[in-house]
Amino acid sequence: MPTLKALIEKPALWLSSEAEEGELVLSSRVRIARNLDKRSFTHGASAQVLTEIRDESKAALADCPAIAGALVLDLDGIPESDRMLLAERRLISSEMVKNFLNRSLVAMPDEQISIMINEEDHLRIQSFEPGLSLQKAFERIGGLDNEIDARLCYAYSEELGYLTACPTNVGTGLRVSAMVHLPGLVHNKDIGQVLDGLRNIRLTVRGIYGEGSDIIGNFFQVSNSITLGLSEEDTVKNLEGHIRKVLEFEKKARSVLLKKARSLLEDKIWRAYGILKTARLVTSKEAMSLISAVRLGIGLGILTDCKLSTLNELFIMIQPMHLQKLHERAMKTEERDRTRADYIRVRLG
Amino acid sequence: MLCQFCKKREATIHVTNVENNKVRAIHICAQCAEERGFDELKKSNFAMTDFVAGLFDSAFAAAEKGISPDNCPNCGTSYSAFQEMGRLGCSQCYEFFQQQLLPLLRSIHGNTRHLGKIPQRFARQVSLRRKARGLQDELELAIQLEQYERAAELRDEIRKLSESERGGGRACRR
Repeated sequence: MPTLKALIEKPALWLSSEAEEGELVLSSRVRIARNLDKRSFTHGASAQVLTEIRDESKAALADCPAIAGALVLDLDGIPESDRMLLAERRLISSEMVKNFLNRSLVAMPDEQISIMINEEDHLRIQSFEPGLSLQKAFERIGGLDNEIDARLCYAYSEELGYLTACPTNVGTGLRVSAMVHLPGLVHNKDIGQVLDGLRNIRLTVRGIYGEGSDIIGNFFQVSNSITLGLSEEDTVKNLEGHIRKVLEFEKKARSVLLKKARSLLEDKIWRAYGILKTARLVTSKEAMSLISAVRLGIGLGILTDCKLSTLNELFIMIQPMHLQKLHERAMKTEERDRTRADYIRVRLG
Repeated sequence: MLCQFCKKREATIHVTNVENNKVRAIHICAQCAEERGFDELKKSNFAMTDFVAGLFDSAFAAAEKGISPDNCPNCGTSYSAFQEMGRLGCSQCYEFFQQQLLPLLRSIHGNTRHLGKIPQRFARQVSLRRKARGLQDELELAIQLEQYERAAELRDEIRKLSESERGGGRACRR
């Protein structure tokens, strides 16, 4: 069985840049929430019930061909630092770093499919794809869902669909999201209007780290919020359509920006690249903002000697726990900022 | 008197049980009785006592566990606990708190009917019902347009569907 070490030695496949709209869309994510029939939902379940659910789920998952060869990790069997690392890689939620008793993770070595057991719902099945590829992520997860359905008894009602701990997920239990990079719209200040428009059609916009997180580095996570009364296929199609419209706005904003202020833009991009290649202390927030500018430079063809895949990897690797694991020791803030700057310099050559 | 099970419809079946000097009564509507196998009972040799015992078990299990009648009989969650936490206790809460939840679901999703995927064990039953609903809409339209021949065809199709639908979803034996 693969180990956690093997998992983190190479970057996740969804960080590959060979994808549709790869510069504008960092990744696509699809997750479904499922629960076992008649059992208490996770937050109110006793330790014994949680153990039973975990055991039953693990046994069923071990039997699913779609995830043959997956890594199985009991979160109460690993140190907090490993749980933080898994959260930084989006394999578990930040909630599970703290609430880890009787919780498990099942993940494919390429990290394209992972299943959290006893998160807010008994099963949270998620799939990542690089770029804008919601349909592909959805199809992959659908096959696994059918395999699990043949082995476990899902909580379901004809009227309300899949029953979830929170009524905001009931129905399809489906959350589809894309991480979009919109520096053009942020710069021309149209972003507020675009985000309001998305919210008006009941889409959710969040920062890069999901619920409650700030907008950093011009990255926005756009997802559906309706799960009842709309089929899975329509949910995916609608979100993809709306995201494509936003990308059109972003492309227009960029071309206007290039026409009106090319020198200023080039200067900003090259300065950002220069700082990343030479700085000795870099905070996470500063790094994200500089990476956003360099990413824009690649997208506009201004910067050609830096690869998108390198920038994508930086996203994950410059996070606090990844840096500490890389050096196999705990670090204070300043040391982390120094190590982050060192790491970025090496990766950018 | 309201049905003890759905708490919505008038109870039309009243059963009283006296055991060890304890009197317990069940008041149930026809639909809830049917859902619990009363129809099957009339057709088969299924023992009446088993059916009644089953009813008493489900009606009084919560009370015996010390759960208030206002709370979900399966997990004991109260509606105020849900309002406080934003999370329901178990899948049965959706049925128990249906009346309170429906307006909430409408405000969150703009809808209260699932149109998506169906688990295998419900697949036949739910797709038949979805089909029947579609035919019913068509039937109403045909009547409005005075296409009575088409309406008769549709009525027969709906009748056939509802006959094959009987039997409900497969119980989960996994």
